[in-house]
Amino acid sequence: MAATTESVKADAAEAPLLNKRNLFFAVAIYCVFYAWVRWYEGVYGWSAGLDSFAPEFETYWMNFLYIEFVLEVSTAGILWGYLWKSRDRKVMSITPREELRRHFTHWVWLVAYSVAIYFGASYFTEQDGTWHQTIVRDTDFTPSHVIEFYLSYPIYIITGGASFIYAKTRLPTYNQGLSLQYMVAVVGPFMILPNVGLNEWGHTFWFMEELFVAPLHYGFVFFGWAALGALGVLNIECQAIAKLLKKDLA
Amino acid sequence: MSASQSAVRSRAEAVKVSRTFDWLILFALFFIILGGYHVHFMLTGGDWDFWTDWKDRRLWVTVLPIVGITFPAAVQAVLWWRYRLPFGAIVSVLGLLFGEWVNRYFNFWGWTYFPVNFVFPSQFVPGAIVLDVVLLLTNSMIITAVIGGLAYGLLFYPGNWPVMAPLHIPVEYNGMMMTLADLQGYHYVRTGTPEYIRMVEKGTLRTFGKDVAPVSAFFSGFVSIIIYFLWHFFGKWFGSTAFTQAA
Repeated sequence: MAATTESVKADAAEAPLLNKRNLFFAVAIYCVFYAWVRWYEGVYGWSAGLDSFAPEFETYWMNFLYIEFVLEVSTAGILWGYLWKSRDRKVMSITPREELRRHFTHWVWLVAYSVAIYFGASYFTEQDGTWHQTIVRDTDFTPSHVIEFYLSYPIYIITGGASFIYAKTRLPTYNQGLSLQYMVAVVGPFMILPNVGLNEWGHTFWFMEELFVAPLHYGFVFFGWAALGALGVLNIECQAIAKLLKKDLA
Repeated sequence: MSASQSAVRSRAEAVKVSRTFDWLILFALFFIILGGYHVHFMLTGGDWDFWTDWKDRRLWVTVLPIVGITFPAAVQAVLWWRYRLPFGAIVSVLGLLFGEWVNRYFNFWGWTYFPVNFVFPSQFVPGAIVLDVVLLLTNSMIITAVIGGLAYGLLFYPGNWPVMAPLHIPVEYNGMMMTLADLQGYHYVRTGTPEYIRMVEKGTLRTFGKDVAPVSAFFSGFVSIIIYFLWHFFGKWFGSTAFTQAA
């Protein structure tokens, strides 16, 4: 009886396996932030984003660009630095229950990464298509590029990097080396950002019309394929979780 | 870590944990696949998918299934071959469709003010169902590639025809004959995409008159078979669980 009471007390005091509040917060923060960004585009895209030589373009778009650069570098430095600095140095000696809890936290990171990559690769990338097929560009830093390339891509890079560092520093599964497909899933989409260099160079050099299927864009396609590396991460995770639960599910 | 210790306290908790992971995995996988598939698709076939006046009987029918069978094949290579889940193709195309519809509504219409009946996306649902069903029934990658891949190409045009047919009705405008879709494009000018780069109804295949669409679909199905093979192995590779040692 006493033992049962102690066990119930321990359960009540213990952190939940899945922190649902964090999960909800992770998804909500991207959605709310990007809803605000979309509102900003709607208002200042047309009113201040058509002529890059106009003073209001500098005010509403170039300043937006400078601010996001600073915030992104700071966020990446602080978040990645914190995750690395607070790493578990005895990761191989954690209890199975703690390992399970960390797998759940890892999946909260992966859910956040999925939402971030959706907004970056799908929502804001195709949005760029309709903007440039409608508006003739006179700068590399068009309103859609300020958001797509220099905001939504860095955000999914930061999120993917954080997810990778979390797994590497806190889960025994990833302690045996570097997961090839995890790196593909994170580094591949990251390479889309440097590929912007090729894209902008081409658009500046030829000042072409906006044909979305133009070969100049194929670098984005190639690195977009890397998102499929998530399938490898899925397989690693399923093996690890099955190992933790197998005995109890049998 | 002690091997005798358990991660869960009861079988019921183990089941609950397992189900919770299922939902987390499905959500994350859906949006990650969506992101990769959508960026691939919009930059290899997007122009024929964005506007109704690009949805012709030749290149729209030819290009889209070929570039669209890629991710379904890769996702099937993991979901079926590792987990016996027979919905790899349909989950991929539904993800793509979700990403496209959100975009066409909030951005093509909401930001640049093109009417939705000018910018609605094409869809691959019938072809994807056939791909999944053939794989489920035969458990054979080769039969899925040959039968399913061919069907994927052949079903694209009829699958989209009910939506497109009204826009292919001929109209006369300022003494010129065109389709209703052409007329939409005429009125909704896209400054960055001038008329001379619109790739529709090109070539002498029109010699065959009414047969343009079936011939294009047949060719598309043929190439889709090859692309399925290729992307099945891409999927296998992406699903590998290898680790490398840090330098």
